Amino acid sequence: MAALPICLNFEGDFVLQLVGVDTEDTMDQVAEKCAHHTVNRRVAPQPEKVMRVRLHGSSESYPRDMKVSDAHWRLTETIDVIFADK
Amino acid sequence: MYQIPREEWYDLTRAVNWTPKYVTEEELFPEEMSGARGIPMAEWETYDEPYKVTYPEYVSVQREKDSGAYSVKAALERDAYVDRADPGWISTMIAHYGAISVNEYGASTGEARMARFAKAPGNRNMAIFGALDENRHGQIQLYFPHANIKRSRQWDWAHKAMHTNDWAAIAARSFFDDIMFTRDAVAVSIMLTFGFETGFTNMQFLGLAADASNAGDHTFASLISSVQTDEARHAQQGGPSLKILIANGKKEEAKKLVDVSIWRAWKLFSVLTGPIMDYYTPLEHREQSFKEFMVEWIIIQFERQLADLGLDAPWFWEDLTNDLDITHHGMHLGVYFWRKTVWWNPAAGASPEDREWLEEKYPGWNKTWGKCWDVITDNLNNDREDLTLPETLPYVCNMSQLPIVGMPGDGWEVKDYQLELDGRLYHFASEADRWCFEQDPERYKQHQNLIDRFLTGQIQPADLSGALLYMSLGPEEMGKDAHDYEWAEGFKNKNKVG
Ligand SMILES: [Fe+2]
Ligand SMILES: [Fe+2]
Repeated sequence: MAALPICLNFEGDFVLQLVGVDTEDTMDQVAEKCAHHTVNRRVAPQPEKVMRVRLHGSSESYPRDMKVSDAHWRLTETIDVIFADK
Repeated sequence: MYQIPREEWYDLTRAVNWTPKYVTEEELFPEEMSGARGIPMAEWETYDEPYKVTYPEYVSVQREKDSGAYSVKAALERDAYVDRADPGWISTMIAHYGAISVNEYGASTGEARMARFAKAPGNRNMAIFGALDENRHGQIQLYFPHANIKRSRQWDWAHKAMHTNDWAAIAARSFFDDIMFTRDAVAVSIMLTFGFETGFTNMQFLGLAADASNAGDHTFASLISSVQTDEARHAQQGGPSLKILIANGKKEEAKKLVDVSIWRAWKLFSVLTGPIMDYYTPLEHREQSFKEFMVEWIIIQFERQLADLGLDAPWFWEDLTNDLDITHHGMHLGVYFWRKTVWWNPAAGASPEDREWLEEKYPGWNKTWGKCWDVITDNLNNDREDLTLPETLPYVCNMSQLPIVGMPGDGWEVKDYQLELDGRLYHFASEADRWCFEQDPERYKQHQNLIDRFLTGQIQPADLSGALLYMSLGPEEMGKDAHDYEWAEGFKNKNKVG
């Protein structure tokens, strides 16, 4: 367990934000922590969709149950959180 | 007493030069201060400033001008305009003074460096007047807001802001440190006067002067037109330096100085002038949109000036033009959302009527920026002010020190430009910001932006309250909505989201 600061880019938002995650978090938990600073603040919720995490600019999302420690992010790595059908 | 006519002595005195006997030329003009770049003295003696003035002329003109501005102030102080003015306009003034006044004083040291160390005699002569100008600009822009401290502590930030770690102050210092405090005389003449002041004079002073008289603020209008006439004169010191560099095989180097300065200055306008013109100035007093103003007074004017010198437009010219639809809207939304972190009260400028104007000036605004404002508006109209405030920090650029922003909503496109150097990951807001860094990594790489300071434990407690303490913002100083959310009322009973 270790805290890891990341740089968040959330779909529909206008700004990158500093978010703290934990190396033990799953990608779904990362998405939740990111949504806290974005959804219902500047981005409308999309309840029929799920939120997926990917490396900034990548076209492929991480598996939802994958742990942060397995993604080998750098300190302040930039990630995208996007709305997807599943 | 007989006086020799001006034309008989002026050219001789403005270009006085001599051959040093007791010290070497290198000791008299150390390269790191003078920046002659190997170009011989004889070449610098050809420096020909387009604007000529004598000391007696300078003193009499300035005396008359400033006493005019001071007497307008004294008369209108009794009239208490400030108590009647729109809160958005008050915010404009408070933001302006905090960002500008102390840096004007700082600019007098940049001018003084040219006055002492420029090898061009004409530049030394001009810069003496420039140093006097900037000293006066510092004084007048500290003195005027001082009268309003009794109204709000935020006015005190005219002097305080640049002595704090407020994020906007860090951004302004990073820029001015780069272009005027830490450069040689020749680079200062190019980066401060040509790159920054030419644009800035037009942007902040011409644009604001028009808005000020529209808003009925004659004190502010007279102050800034006094300042603007000086800027228009001393901003002309860079052109002749550029001509000499270009004529002596230093074109590429000269161009780089111009390009870095223009890009960095643009970012500062985007956060300072952009929100003021398109959002803070009351709708009925807005003259041109920020974008229209930028195109007419910055883009076109620079293109002409650069072409006159035989220089191409900077490589990022198209990026800059495209950013006129994006960056300042993002800076405004960021300042508004993080309003507690600034020393002025941001005006949202997002009422139904404002949004109509924004959509007209920036087609597509409602589907992009409007989407974020929809959520904010709904939260305000549903008693959820808490959700209109942040719980973390925006990520800031390692060059501009400003939030990394992009297009939200339906046109979502926000991009991080990265660079890994010596094991550290740097984040930039644009290709051009990263390019500026890459021109001289040694110069920039040690600097810590607000996020770096947060992550290295310099901000305690490590949360937003700690950040506000770090920025020296007291409860009466931190920004709040300029109009107490009145603008959102117009959306009540309209269709709701969420
Ligand atoms: Fe000035
Ligand atoms: Fe100036």
